[in-house]
Amino acid sequence: MSNILIVDDSSTMRKIITRSLRQAGLSVETIFEAADGIEGLNALGSGPIDLILSDINMPNMDGLEFVKQARAQGCTVPIVMITTEGGEDIIGEAITSGANGSIRKPFTPDQLQEKLGGLL
Amino acid sequence: MSLNAKVMEFAHLQEKEMTRYIIDATREVFSTMVAMEVADCYPLVEPVTQFHCSITGMIGMAGSYTGMLSIHCPALLAMRITSNMLGMEVEEVGEDVNDALGEIANMLGGHVKQVLSKGGLDLNLSIPTVISGETYTIHSTDNDDCVVIPFQCDEEKFLVGLTLKKEI
Repeated sequence: MSNILIVDDSSTMRKIITRSLRQAGLSVETIFEAADGIEGLNALGSGPIDLILSDINMPNMDGLEFVKQARAQGCTVPIVMITTEGGEDIIGEAITSGANGSIRKPFTPDQLQEKLGGLL
Repeated sequence: MSLNAKVMEFAHLQEKEMTRYIIDATREVFSTMVAMEVADCYPLVEPVTQFHCSITGMIGMAGSYTGMLSIHCPALLAMRITSNMLGMEVEEVGEDVNDALGEIANMLGGHVKQVLSKGGLDLNLSIPTVISGETYTIHSTDNDDCVVIPFQCDEEKFLVGLTLKKEI
């Protein structure tokens, strides 16, 4: 069973991701939630986290900065961007910053399973 | 109403292609994230600027060009959309409905950005903005540089609009 941190400014999207993870049959124990990158960084100390799913376009601290700062702080947890920003340039920047992959919104539970199954 | 010809030329797109992208993106977002099938009723017969008991979700685009992607939805349909997205009954327009409509605008805006970026346009997305009310009017500074697509979901209709113009 895995603990997952979801960083997204949309509470609706956090609920959809949570539901989709369970529909995908992924073994989820605890979901931690954060509404922006700053909250995400604070949540890293909430407990053992096995996977981070982060939006990019967020207020206060966006997903790219969150990934950079998380890695700078020594976080080695896999980070997958779940974002509407599907362009190669911005995804490339996320990967360069330390992200392990990306999933484009909108997504299906099967797509989550395909992208995340190997990370959990 | 039509999209700015210079913007479309720079993006190597024709307006009908852009319209098709928006229609396909809207259908995909609703089918995948809302569990609702929607059908387009393009073209819009008459411009709509005044809305009654509605919610409007908007996402701004800025860069070499500026624009806005918006979704205008009657309150009852917005509550149904939100209920489907959250998997729970939503019976009033509030934070959940605003967040859901903002997120739909965000997903549609991301899709449009991706299409335009392939054409060479440099665009950044804003954070979504949502407005709602019994009666409100939306004015664009240039109503000529937009396309508005009506959609039908069961018996209810909603609009998705895109405004784009060259900044300099």
